[in-house]
Amino acid sequence: MSTISALQNIHVKGLFGDHEDKNPKDLLKVSESKDFLIIQIVKYKNSSVSLKDITIDNINLNNEALSVSCNIDTRILWNSPNNWLLVSTKKEVMKEINEKLEEAHFALTDLSHSRAIIEIEGNNTKEVLKKGCPFNFNEIKKNTCLNSVYNGMSVTIDMLEDAPDKVRIFTLRSFGESLYHSITDASLEFGYNGL
Amino acid sequence: MLHIKCPHCGMRSQNEFAYGGDATVKRPELNKEVSDQDWDNFIYNRKSLRGKHKELWHHISGCRQWIKVERDTATHEIFKTVKANEEI
Repeated sequence: MSTISALQNIHVKGLFGDHEDKNPKDLLKVSESKDFLIIQIVKYKNSSVSLKDITIDNINLNNEALSVSCNIDTRILWNSPNNWLLVSTKKEVMKEINEKLEEAHFALTDLSHSRAIIEIEGNNTKEVLKKGCPFNFNEIKKNTCLNSVYNGMSVTIDMLEDAPDKVRIFTLRSFGESLYHSITDASLEFGYNGL
Repeated sequence: MLHIKCPHCGMRSQNEFAYGGDATVKRPELNKEVSDQDWDNFIYNRKSLRGKHKELWHHISGCRQWIKVERDTATHEIFKTVKANEEI
């Protein structure tokens, strides 16, 4: 059975906005990211399990605010105290999660099909984010993440790279279309390449 | 626009928060007789203070944690923010 991604019938490929007479390398790249395993991990308040002893895909659950622990396949985003979002291209990680995170101590929720994900790459990425989100993006660095709002929609922003800037924006699947139009409208000024 | 320092996430815009009411209101003790007046006071009656006010806020579009905020209702100056289980 094939799955239909959140933006399959919405995302349009091609050059848009103020792209003429510009080097294609300088344009923003906007694309949909899909086929991830997305698991919300919550440690129960009364659990006494030490996080130091737990690794998933060789990554620790880090309780430092706004941090992202990652390797090439898997990223674990800090959501709030004792609450993480695991995003992985490796579906096999689910087996490891079920083995290592005991039901008595952790609540696991599979959000793989309930998120729309937009990836933006380019030097003006932060400018696009600033147009709809009140967070001070000047202080965000590579491998950090935050929950905030973009034009009123709750989003999780994961900073993948910072030279040039590359971010992944997660929102509820039902907000996917609105967020996509908000992001692409904000990108027109700089010119963007829908990939 | 107000900026509120979430004890978990750092300085954030008020847009990410939802106001949660007076932080000084205490629920009447469980399993004890409560007079109608005490119950009314707990549910409905609030002081409308001018000046420093202890409030609950919910970081609803951030870490989703409840926090306590000490704010001046006249100037909107925020003096202190702490986690919900801490005292201001």
